Amino acid sequence: MLRDVSIAIGAGETVALVGRSGCGKTTLLRLINRLLEPDSGQIIIDGQASATWDPIALRRSIGYVIQDAGLFPHRTVGSNVATVPRLLEWPEGKISARVDELLSMVGLDPREFRDRWPDQLSGGQRQRVGLARALAADPAVLLMDEPFGAIDAITKAELHTEFKRVQASLRRAVVLVTHDMSEAFALADRIAVMHDGQIAICDVPSVVAASTDPRVSALVAHLRQGSGG
Amino acid sequence: MSGLIAFIASHRVEFAARLGEHIVLVLASTTMAAAIGIPLGVLAARRPALAKPIVALANLGQTIPSLALFGFLIPLPFLGGIGTRTALVALTLYAVLPVLRGTITGIQGVPASVIDCAVAMGLTPRQVLTQIEWPLALPSIVSGLRVAVVIGVGTATIASAIGAGGLGDYIFRGLAMVDSTVILAGAIPAALLALACDGALALAGRIADPRRRSPGMMIALVALVIATTGGALWASGVTSRRDVTVGSKNFTEQIVLGELIAQVIERQGLHVERRFNLGGTAIAHQALVSGGIDAYVEYSGTSLTAIFNLPPSRDANEVFTQIRDRYAALGVTALPRLGYNNTFAILVRAADAQRLGLRTIGDLNRFTGARAGFGYEFLERPDGFTGLSAAYGLNIAGQPRTMDLNLIYRALSSNEIDVTAGDATSGQIESQKLVVLADDRHYFPAYEAVPVVRSALLLRHPQVAGALKRLEGAISDEAMRRMNYAVDGEKQDPFQVVKAFLDRIGGF
Repeated sequence: MLRDVSIAIGAGETVALVGRSGCGKTTLLRLINRLLEPDSGQIIIDGQASATWDPIALRRSIGYVIQDAGLFPHRTVGSNVATVPRLLEWPEGKISARVDELLSMVGLDPREFRDRWPDQLSGGQRQRVGLARALAADPAVLLMDEPFGAIDAITKAELHTEFKRVQASLRRAVVLVTHDMSEAFALADRIAVMHDGQIAICDVPSVVAASTDPRVSALVAHLRQGSGG
Repeated sequence: MSGLIAFIASHRVEFAARLGEHIVLVLASTTMAAAIGIPLGVLAARRPALAKPIVALANLGQTIPSLALFGFLIPLPFLGGIGTRTALVALTLYAVLPVLRGTITGIQGVPASVIDCAVAMGLTPRQVLTQIEWPLALPSIVSGLRVAVVIGVGTATIASAIGAGGLGDYIFRGLAMVDSTVILAGAIPAALLALACDGALALAGRIADPRRRSPGMMIALVALVIATTGGALWASGVTSRRDVTVGSKNFTEQIVLGELIAQVIERQGLHVERRFNLGGTAIAHQALVSGGIDAYVEYSGTSLTAIFNLPPSRDANEVFTQIRDRYAALGVTALPRLGYNNTFAILVRAADAQRLGLRTIGDLNRFTGARAGFGYEFLERPDGFTGLSAAYGLNIAGQPRTMDLNLIYRALSSNEIDVTAGDATSGQIESQKLVVLADDRHYFPAYEAVPVVRSALLLRHPQVAGALKRLEGAISDEAMRRMNYAVDGEKQDPFQVVKAFLDRIGGF
């Protein structure tokens, strides 16, 4: 499905993958943490080909956030956030300190939210917990698949601000899949426009906005008409 | 209700044993069903291609009527035979489907996004199963177990028919004796047991829910389960110290005869376990040959035609000689006959007999529109209905109804049917105001009562043969009918009726 895709992402950089449904952006994301395996080609993480990593260890070192957050409904907020540190067998004291730190970082008061259950949260709060959980073990890479897709416009704007604040301080390599061009413009350092399994362009927002490539300009024009999706 | 309480109180040791057996049957079969159904369910949920055949197979098991399933299992090696083992196999088969369904539903119901996140966060496949899928599927699995347990408590009552004991003993005994107090002594505790098991599992389901979990509840539940299991095992073990197991088929006279054999042996100082109410001739015979029981009383004509597939004969002595040789080849000793002849009796209501002047079986052709109803065996046996029709040239219109042997007398007296075949010695002939039509063409072969005992037992306890031989010719038709009536008509306890009889004839 993907052909001739080549992309390099540096630390502290947020790259948005945009394009229509079925263009291959989620596929590209899932190749990075080996939820999918490439037929050919390679992914290099931290200077090492991903195929040579143990997939379990690789995934524990990569944060992952999806559209409806995918929180574990049978675990409390605190326990959800603690998932990867527990897998890595951190000492409990360190885990609990880390959980509180992360909840505060994403704007949730630990005393109030630590022992809540996922179904007692609003959509926006769940997404914040999802982000905190993805960041728990301090991963170098953060993968986000339509993380703000199912959230109302006002909450989404809040979350965008929150995300930018967190990213400014943590400086991870972030890959953000979105079909929402305005979100890409708001959050990304570079935008990769995908079309039919290929990257049409990958550049800073201003260059993408000025592109005359019909595959790109169609998406950008759509945005200019004011309906970002 | 007070009669029921009095009955249970006067049978408390036996009742505790039956209840214990019932609980052990249900707990053991449900545990095995869980051990089979949960892993299979996980596998089926993972591989939808496997799910269809697995569920279809489990469905098939569920559709086999329970008594038929017991029948299929009895001749099988290892799984079969009579008694607890076969019952456990059958009960487990029934319990697997709901557990399987619950597991598949539970695992498939875990949201895909949750699994996706779990994998992406680096949980190993085993961790995904144990930390994510299992706890989220647990409520559905527990519902499956609840269904399995309730079905199990109900089906286990039928296990009594193959000698596995349990509360079904009272239900079958009560049916045989037409005594609703005895039926209720089995049925009500079984219903309460089903509710209790369901409640305990509902509690277990709450404990499985992480939001309501508390260590106190967990300990209470574990203690409850251990106490119940231990109590049930102990209670069912109360009667397990035995030298001899005596069986009987599932109608009043058989229970009286079983009691008779049992008490005669007990008076020799041996411990007897009673496995009464076995669900038919084939089951009783199979039980005897396989060692599930050591002795029961068979009827010579039944043995000749239904067990050994020989043509019926009217020469009582020749019948006895033939079956004695056949039994000997199976390691079974046919002891001297008890004296009376329990042949089939063709019965009509006394009122009809008087109105139409019915005296012999042949007179039935004057009874136009008569509706026939028979026990299952009578329609199948070579000396049953087909031969009878041919011998007397009967033209009974319509297909005869089949019903449980214990219900035919009441069905006749309550006008549901007009003619049936009962036991000549049944106490209900008099109590239900029925009349026996004469077999003037001597169609029915002799059905003399013969104690059949495993030869190995007689070698082990030679005094048993001596004692049982003293019963030769001891029971007249009249004496047998009176004992049957004492149980059926006067609702006396078979134990007391037999005890009084033995005390009266003396010598034991």
